Amino acid sequence: MAPRYRTPSWWPDGRQRQSVRAGFLDALSTLVATSTWGFVTGIALVKSGLTESMAALMTLTVYAGSAQLTSLPLIESSAPLWLIFAAGTVVNIRFIIFGAALQPYFRHMSWPKRLGLGYLSTDMAFVLFMARYGESRDRGTPDQFWYFMGIIIPCWVSWNGFSLMGIYLGSFVPASWSLDFAAILALMAIIIPLVKTRPMVMCLLVAGVTAWVCQPLPLRLGLAAAVVGGVVAGVLTETLQHRNHRNRT
Amino acid sequence: MTGNDEYDVYILAVIALLTLCSVVTRAGYFLFGDHLPLTESVRRALRYAPTAALIGIVVPELLPWRAEGGVVLDARVLAALVAIFLFWRTRSTLLVIVGGMAALWILKAASAMVPW
Repeated sequence: MAPRYRTPSWWPDGRQRQSVRAGFLDALSTLVATSTWGFVTGIALVKSGLTESMAALMTLTVYAGSAQLTSLPLIESSAPLWLIFAAGTVVNIRFIIFGAALQPYFRHMSWPKRLGLGYLSTDMAFVLFMARYGESRDRGTPDQFWYFMGIIIPCWVSWNGFSLMGIYLGSFVPASWSLDFAAILALMAIIIPLVKTRPMVMCLLVAGVTAWVCQPLPLRLGLAAAVVGGVVAGVLTETLQHRNHRNRT
Repeated sequence: MTGNDEYDVYILAVIALLTLCSVVTRAGYFLFGDHLPLTESVRRALRYAPTAALIGIVVPELLPWRAEGGVVLDARVLAALVAIFLFWRTRSTLLVIVGGMAALWILKAASAMVPW
């Protein structure tokens, strides 16, 4: 008989390891997007004039690609610190929304754990977690926690790994490869499979048109406007669908 | 470190503030959500936020405003359409990235050879 090792009490048991695996497998296709974005962001950080050590510090602590990329033109023009903070917050508004949706599943945990889970949560963790547990009546189960861990840990590793690679290797990649476009394609690969219902299609159309029209707005406020517009469009379509359905039956 | 103390302090302050930004926006609800309740209908609405945010990042990148106005169908837009077509036919998200990049490279090479 093989010797039995004592595993620490926090270590996931067999069923929980399956939840970790499920999260990891669901996150796998999005890791391509995360890695590409990380790599491209790493390149952009050093190309904008940050030293390699500053860029590495930023990527490891801020851990928010769009906020980092937004800050670069502001840093280059020596913008005031409050403006950079405000711009970062606007770009990160989506995380407030995601956090509000995820909080009921983790409210029973201690505050340091909640702080860690919140800080490590990502767009993809939100999308995948809500797709799996959004309709679930049981909230706060160990399976949900471990599924979440199965997403956010590989996300953190691949984001930071590829960011650092971008920072230290980026200067060797010729601009003619247009690697920035791979990041756009990677984002499209996330969006397209999400758009399956009519409210989602309306959300996509309204958000897309809003984002295009609002481009001249400063501080990427067009992004915030697109989120508001897309959410309103999705909810209105959903409400109309329900009403039509009720009228018919 | 650049040796320019003022610049280094500025960059470090930016990094510290953006880190604070990440912590507040991401962990704020995780920490204080019980005191900032959201109704079920709001939660329902929030399901549309990720799609809207992602498209809000992609659209200005693909179709930036141009001085002469209007939408220009350049190689990037055409490659994106090829990528969407590939997903529609194959349901493969990897092909969106690989196929889209290949399409961009082919279109760029072709436009370099053909003087419009």
